[in-house]
Amino acid sequence: MKFEKKRASVKQEIPTASMPDIVFMLLLFFMVTTTLREVDIMVQFQLPEAKAIEKIENKRLISYIWVGNDGRIQLNDNLVKIKDIQKLMYAKRVALPNVIVSLRIDKNSEMGVVTDIQQALRKADARRINYSTMLKE
Amino acid sequence: MVTLRKKKVKGAEIPTGSMADIAFLLLLFFLVATTIDVDTGIGLTLPEYQEQQDLVPLSKDRMAALLINENGDVLLNGEVIAIPQIKDNLKERITSKIDLPKKKKLVVSVKTDRRTNYNLYIMALDQVKGAFYEVRDEYALSKYGKKFKDLTVDQAKDVKEKIPIIISIAEPEKIK
Repeated sequence: MKFEKKRASVKQEIPTASMPDIVFMLLLFFMVTTTLREVDIMVQFQLPEAKAIEKIENKRLISYIWVGNDGRIQLNDNLVKIKDIQKLMYAKRVALPNVIVSLRIDKNSEMGVVTDIQQALRKADARRINYSTMLKE
Repeated sequence: MVTLRKKKVKGAEIPTGSMADIAFLLLLFFLVATTIDVDTGIGLTLPEYQEQQDLVPLSKDRMAALLINENGDVLLNGEVIAIPQIKDNLKERITSKIDLPKKKKLVVSVKTDRRTNYNLYIMALDQVKGAFYEVRDEYALSKYGKKFKDLTVDQAKDVKEKIPIIISIAEPEKIK
């Protein structure tokens, strides 16, 4: 018995004409959803790890404070001293009443500097904070 | 008179075959160049700043005082404890206070020295938060059969009311 290969009579090609459109859609999606980092981080830090963490839902409300492993403090885009934090954060708080301050503090820091920052934030009335941590596996 | 005839344009097309490749390249560039940094962490609300500290008396059994000194020793209500034990210890106490009125819920107070390591503080705070979250989960599971994060808004509100997270960051002591 002779087998004959069945061959479909229709064209066996995937239409690729709309491929660029699909890819452009993907591209647009990524361009819109990703927020580019607008500040340069001038301090070196390594975040601590924790399990019971939560996600900050609204990125636009966040204001960052970094504390590096050499104890330097960076608020948003420049290095500041502790005594300046209160004034700067108060201005921020007036402009954005429910600001969340994300504290990105090196894990080998001492609590002294953390406490000082917290006191400054309390005085500036920016009381919603978030200790930034990585997820512990 | 010479008749001007329009020249017939022959196939003036832009080749679009490589368009997909170009778009993919762009896509790849954006994928690589953007950093998706997730903002995860331990959220907290600091107490209001007051010039004059007015002391609110708290009964002993409402209070869980957590003290971390500069050597990394942890005291819970005056007893030495290892950091991973904090969660179980607190869970018991939080669970026993679920049905008590609002004014009698557990208050966890965290206090550190100025020279305490930040990492230790976060570890301890993580344990405290974890204890609250686990109790919430257990309670939600027993009452609604769902985890806390899957509850509806009203149910979540009820659970939050039953198990409020009250963490007090103690006023630091004056520098000696």
